[in-house]
Amino acid sequence: MRDHIFFYLNGASQKVTGPAIFETLSRYVREQKRETGTKIVCEEGDCGACTVLIGKQEGNTIRYLPVNSCIQYIFQADLTHVVTVEGLSKDGLTPVQDAMVRCHGAQCGYCTPGFIMAMHAVFEEKKTCSAAEAQRGLTGNLCRCTGYEPIIKAAMEVRDEPRIDALYPTAPILRDLSSAESAVRIGNFFKPATLAEAISFKAENPKCTIVQGATDVGVWRNKRAFESPSYLSLSAIDGLGEIALRDGALEAGGRVTLAQFEEAAATHVPEMAAILDRFGSPQIRNAGTLAGNIANASPIADTLPFLYVMNAELELTGRAGVRSVPIGSFYRGYKTLDLAQDEIITKIRIPTPRLGEILKLYKVSKRSHLDISSFTAAFLIRMAGGRIDAVRIAFGGVGPVVLRLPKTEAFLQGKSLDLAIFEGAGAIAREEIKPISDVRGSAEFRLQLGENILRKLYYALAA
Amino acid sequence: MPVLGRNVPHDSARGHVTGESLYVDDIAPVAGELLVDFLWSPFAHARIRSLDLTKARAADGVAGLFTFRDLHHNLFGPILKDEILLAEDVCTFRGQPIVVIAAENARAIREAKNAIAIDLEELAPILTIDAAIAASSFFPDPRMIRRGDPAAAIARAEHVLEGVFENQGQDHFYLESQAAIAYPGELGALTVHSSTQNPTEVQEVIAHLLGLTMSQVVVLTKRMGGAFGGKECQATHPAVMASLVAQKTGRAARIVYSKDDDMHATGKRHPFQNRYRIGFTRSGEITGAIFELYSDGGAYADLSPAVMARAMTHSDNAYFLSDVEIRGTVCRTNMPPNTAFRGFGGPQGACTIENVMQEIASVLKRDALEVRRANCYQIATRNVTPYGQLLERNTLPRLFTELPARCDYAKRMDGVREFNATSKTHIRGLALTAVKFGISFNTKFLNQANALVNIYLDGSVQVSTGATEMGQGVNTKIRQLVADELGILIDRVHVMITSTEKNNNTSATAASSAADLNGGAAVDACARLRERMTPVARNILSVAAGAPPAAETPQKSEIVFADGFVFDQANPAKKLKFEEVVSAAYKLRVSLGERGFYATPRIDWNWTTGGHPFLYFTMGTACSEVRIDRFTGEMKVLRSDLLMDIGRSINPGVDRGQITGAFIQGMGWLTTEDLRYTESGELLAHSPTTYKIPNINDVPEIFNVDWIEHDNPVNVYGSKAVGEPPLLMAISVWCAVKHALSFVSNGDIPKLRVPATTEEILMRITQYARGEAQLTS
Ligand SMILES: Cc1cc2nc3c(=O)[nH]c(=O)nc-3n(C[C@@H](O)[C@@H](O)[C@H](O)COP(=O)(O)OP(=O)(O)OC[C@H]3O[C@@H](n4cnc5c(N)ncnc54)[C@H](O)[C@@H]3O)c2cc1C
Ligand code: FES
Ligand code: FES
Repeated sequence: MRDHIFFYLNGASQKVTGPAIFETLSRYVREQKRETGTKIVCEEGDCGACTVLIGKQEGNTIRYLPVNSCIQYIFQADLTHVVTVEGLSKDGLTPVQDAMVRCHGAQCGYCTPGFIMAMHAVFEEKKTCSAAEAQRGLTGNLCRCTGYEPIIKAAMEVRDEPRIDALYPTAPILRDLSSAESAVRIGNFFKPATLAEAISFKAENPKCTIVQGATDVGVWRNKRAFESPSYLSLSAIDGLGEIALRDGALEAGGRVTLAQFEEAAATHVPEMAAILDRFGSPQIRNAGTLAGNIANASPIADTLPFLYVMNAELELTGRAGVRSVPIGSFYRGYKTLDLAQDEIITKIRIPTPRLGEILKLYKVSKRSHLDISSFTAAFLIRMAGGRIDAVRIAFGGVGPVVLRLPKTEAFLQGKSLDLAIFEGAGAIAREEIKPISDVRGSAEFRLQLGENILRKLYYALAA
Repeated sequence: MPVLGRNVPHDSARGHVTGESLYVDDIAPVAGELLVDFLWSPFAHARIRSLDLTKARAADGVAGLFTFRDLHHNLFGPILKDEILLAEDVCTFRGQPIVVIAAENARAIREAKNAIAIDLEELAPILTIDAAIAASSFFPDPRMIRRGDPAAAIARAEHVLEGVFENQGQDHFYLESQAAIAYPGELGALTVHSSTQNPTEVQEVIAHLLGLTMSQVVVLTKRMGGAFGGKECQATHPAVMASLVAQKTGRAARIVYSKDDDMHATGKRHPFQNRYRIGFTRSGEITGAIFELYSDGGAYADLSPAVMARAMTHSDNAYFLSDVEIRGTVCRTNMPPNTAFRGFGGPQGACTIENVMQEIASVLKRDALEVRRANCYQIATRNVTPYGQLLERNTLPRLFTELPARCDYAKRMDGVREFNATSKTHIRGLALTAVKFGISFNTKFLNQANALVNIYLDGSVQVSTGATEMGQGVNTKIRQLVADELGILIDRVHVMITSTEKNNNTSATAASSAADLNGGAAVDACARLRERMTPVARNILSVAAGAPPAAETPQKSEIVFADGFVFDQANPAKKLKFEEVVSAAYKLRVSLGERGFYATPRIDWNWTTGGHPFLYFTMGTACSEVRIDRFTGEMKVLRSDLLMDIGRSINPGVDRGQITGAFIQGMGWLTTEDLRYTESGELLAHSPTTYKIPNINDVPEIFNVDWIEHDNPVNVYGSKAVGEPPLLMAISVWCAVKHALSFVSNGDIPKLRVPATTEEILMRITQYARGEAQLTS
């Protein structure tokens, strides 16, 4: 059992142990290492100023992905190579940096290191970048000065950005990292190598918190002074990190990130991929997991309405073994789950739309990207002979949990594709939901969305 | 080759992209340095019944807790001197500091905060403009601008329009939150690094509140991570709190607001409620206009009277108003004191009349562009503003002609009508608006600046001015000006950290005019240095050439400084290196340092007789097209075309960035940035999770930015200020939304608030679909 966190930072190995492992990565680089290029603005993952690259082993390579270092515990960096703006180049400017200088992509400069890292990440995956690809890659970074246009231009001008592995050869780093023992125990932090150990730990530590991407937990830590009596990481357990299509269903392991999910959805459920494209940002999707989104139980979680209408099943593993729970009965009330003390979500099984089934997903938010939904809706419809043969509807943001709409579903059953019918269904839907008013919208707004979305659906189906 | 007019990179760009640029919180802590924070009022209005700090003082790691009793004075304020730094018996806004806490680390600060025993009695607050009007809670003095007899003109008018324009505030959302570090020095002196637009004001308030002379306080500003007006006055509070700790403990003291605390505790762009009564002809020409402006000043005056003055002097925007009355009243409420924000009241004034243009068009069923053109300021007639300033070098008519042609306005307007007639799912809107933004501080005496230019023995040059760098590129422009004035390469010029030690009694970097004023002062210093170096150069050149003494050279002879050389233009083959002349001048005991000064000429103005408050105007027109989802209210800006008159650009890259940045920032104010409060005045949107500034995906799908060639002889290099004006061009987006709504409003004038959020738009559409009566605004 290892007694410290071991990782690389800009090519140099780091060991951290004791309570310091609960510090955030951004504070570690700024305060311990005094490398202040990484900026802290919001400390909640929503501005990208703290963006760093996290390099994780993939076969015999290291893949570098951008994440928000302000909501990453140091222990999450275990066995990775973290690269900050200081580590991007050993001398001179990289083509990304040079383009940002030439195109006036930096004004006050406070957002700039974050943009540099996110933009570099785009060129880890591709050689050139279109305006749309720049926007996609930089969705997680806010700039208040430039209006973004110069930054998009800069991204489009970049050629021959050297990849990180050209600067930091992969082999010696991988050799060093993989020589470390995978299981770690530091005080109340445990990162076991097997699922059985994870389950026993969870059973023995009733208030234990699983930390995966920390895109929820990290925010609680920073904003609500959240501290858990014990922390459990699943990242050393084999077999939880895969996603694949089996018998017409996507099967995602309990550690699958939203980015992995998005990649799989792009091939198997493009409608969902389009929603995931608007889920947080690349940084959030690289860190955050599907299981985390489910376990966090927010009524506005973007994956849930989809999982509801697809009748997804959760595989929960505990001391007593494995059981399967349909997503529809997993939530017992606002943030209360059908999840025992010792249980962990180990798999999510999501049937994909079958031939003849139409999936329609909607997300309404104040801002189109990098925003939590005000309202979400999912529809799965099967048409037969010009009539609605079967329909499932789920709404989010209209109650304490995501809701199925049985009355509206029943009303639509057997009906034809007709505007008046869908308007009627909208009126019923409006009656079925009880939204509240909050910072993301008034109850009246949400009621209206609940009604209107059926009209929107009609035109989408009619088209 | 001169560098003026060239696309020189920002002088800090390299540091920004590598992460080397230092901001206040990046400065390494010194030994013994303390962290500073404050306990703030959780209520908008409350009486402090009791305050007991004993337990908090005893907490581990706490170095001190301080209240108003520890200050020499507690009263300050840029205009009215009505503001209290640390609450005494009554708290007047939520977020107002009560106790300053100094501790070894963040944990100790948290513990101290929890250990403070405070008993507060909540009092009834005033939280809105309506409530303030009902309670007659106003700041002195209501103001008025008047010309002709608008009431009579409206009574005679063919058409009369009445309405209310309302806008919410806007958070500055500079990425770097408020920050300062204070270092104690000898004999009570203090050195303070502050993220401020106004080092002199920070210096003055620190000195006053801590009982020091201004000469004992040095304030330094290297750069800000954004400011936008939010650090013009409100950077003072953290700087004083850190200074108080440094003074009391003799230790360095650092304060850095969290983004949430910053948003809770600092003032914002002013909400306005503007009532209007407009008389107009059947061709849309305004014959009489009465505007009654109310702003929410918050708990203290701060800059609110000046913001109101600018709102009033921009209520005409690009349009001539023959008979007009504009009244302005600042409401006193229990909100954090609202403050400067890029545009400084101008956007609220201009948006009101652009809204009127849109509504006149609705009433007359005419194209709003025709209405705007019918009212646009002209060249030879209809060219005097309501406050009596003659509009010189007016390019508005030209901008109103060129932009529609460039952006294919007429054809696209037809396209929008066609689209709306056929689409069942979306509506589109198109609007072309204008901006005329007055440049100069409305307060005459602020229009001055000084600059220090030092030439070193190797010919390199340092420039220090009172301008502060917040990303806008003022240092880059000053660098270009100095390089060209001294005829040296730009790399030889270094713009130094802004320091009250080098430049005294400076004005805030604000009103878009920092490059005008400080650039003007730097040019003045350079001119005098050149003057002193000229005879030195002439002497060497004539000796070297063996030519007759200077007095007898031909008339054409003139000493020129260019490209790092000094030469006589009568004999350009003979060149001296700049540093040779420097060295010679030094040996001849000629001073190689100079302080320049600039005071804006010509401007003069007062409330009773009006006058010439602005040196010139920056102008532009903008056209935006939007698409709205009829069912969700979601809006997308499809295309924006901006055309400006920014004079001769000193740095096209920097200026272009100011335009795109201001436009998108303005768009945020008008669309997604939604400051929601609870009924008791608690801000719900206090971080980027809940407060949505524009994202990279919100940039218009097609975004064309351009300017016309036009000299501005009254300003340095013929340039024009560009920081604020383009923010007002985003009004085109909001007007396009309003235009789109006119297709579903059943012939009524569509009403729309600022911001036009998804929710606001959907609720309007719904209201019209149901055929409900109009909401009041
Ligand atoms: C800036 C930002 C933007 C966001 N945008 C969106 C958005 O657009 N849409 C949206 O829906 N969400 C959004 N989120 C929230 C989303 O990122 C999270 O809900 C994410 O999916 C959680 O995954 P995680 O791995 O980070 O979970 P963590 O934060 O690590 O954990 C979250 C919770 O899940 C529990 N948990 C995690 N894994 C398991 C498991 N296998 N078994 C049992 N319990 C488990 C944890 O104990 C914890 O209680 C956003 C968050 C941020 C910070
Ligand atoms: S500081 Fe804003 S995302 Fe990390
Ligand atoms: S350059 Fe200032 S926030 Fe982006």
